[in-house]
Amino acid sequence: MLLQGKNALITGAARGIGAATVEAFAAEGANVWAFARTPDPALEARCQALSARYGGWVRPLYADLADEAAVSAAVRAAMGDKLPLDILVNNAGMMGEDKVFQLTPVEEMRRLFEANFFGPVVLTQLATRWMARKRKGAVVNVASVAGLDGSSRLDYSASKAAVISATRTMARELAGAGIRVNAVAPGYTDTDMTRGLGEKVEQEAVARALLRRKGKPEEIAAVIAFLASDRAAYVTAQVWRVDGGIL
Amino acid sequence: MTNWEKYVQAFVEALEVSAEEAPALVYGQSKAWDSVGHMTLVAALEDAFDIMMEMDDIIDLSSFAKGKEILGKYDVEI
Repeated sequence: MLLQGKNALITGAARGIGAATVEAFAAEGANVWAFARTPDPALEARCQALSARYGGWVRPLYADLADEAAVSAAVRAAMGDKLPLDILVNNAGMMGEDKVFQLTPVEEMRRLFEANFFGPVVLTQLATRWMARKRKGAVVNVASVAGLDGSSRLDYSASKAAVISATRTMARELAGAGIRVNAVAPGYTDTDMTRGLGEKVEQEAVARALLRRKGKPEEIAAVIAFLASDRAAYVTAQVWRVDGGIL
Repeated sequence: MTNWEKYVQAFVEALEVSAEEAPALVYGQSKAWDSVGHMTLVAALEDAFDIMMEMDDIIDLSSFAKGKEILGKYDVEI
């Protein structure tokens, strides 16, 4: 199996691409800390079910990524399991409201950057120190094609562009510690987040993709799993589009 | 292993220096202790003493001697 015996921490685990990634990792033999913002009985039930189905363990871990102290406490709690950390998937994020930048208060932009950029950066600082103990690890950041191509939402696309830039800098700085850092840039993917965007946005997004359909969360998760695995041992500082072919 | 031995060992393993060289080390003044070595050293110290250092302390960790003082904050007496 692709991730047999690896220990992974996956944020945004309660739904969408994060939930699919937790399942993909468990199915590939990984143990998973399923990181979510708030205690969630549905997530806990899913963790139990995945543990039973695939034989490894899947444990919930809670913290608001905007709260540095809470993130640190959550990582300490996970470290209390006395296990190495092999993989971090920074998936959690938000999209914010659909409005032109002239009508977007800067406070809203800051909140979005907190969730999409600063929170993951803080978590990565902590997690990669944990990985550095073994001088080996893999980080996969979930960006977006909006971070590469731009979109109608300034704050969202700018925050994802920041994630992409950070991916390359992190890869540069962490290579010496044996840690690879890559990103995936999903296109329009069928999640709760995109369902709220409306039919017109969806139709336009599907029309842009050569495959003429939305992505499935599990299709994004499959690429994340590959990049996190030892099969991608010579891959770092890369951004992999998973977008159905947007040219 | 005593705390002193664990402390020296962290420098030896993280920065690939000898135990004799370790006590004189200062961040940025040797090839071994660069920014990447610094992170590896912090990870080694956290692992050796089962602590998680605050960012301010990581930044302040500028020498072998300063490190002993910082670890005191985490109830680690070297």
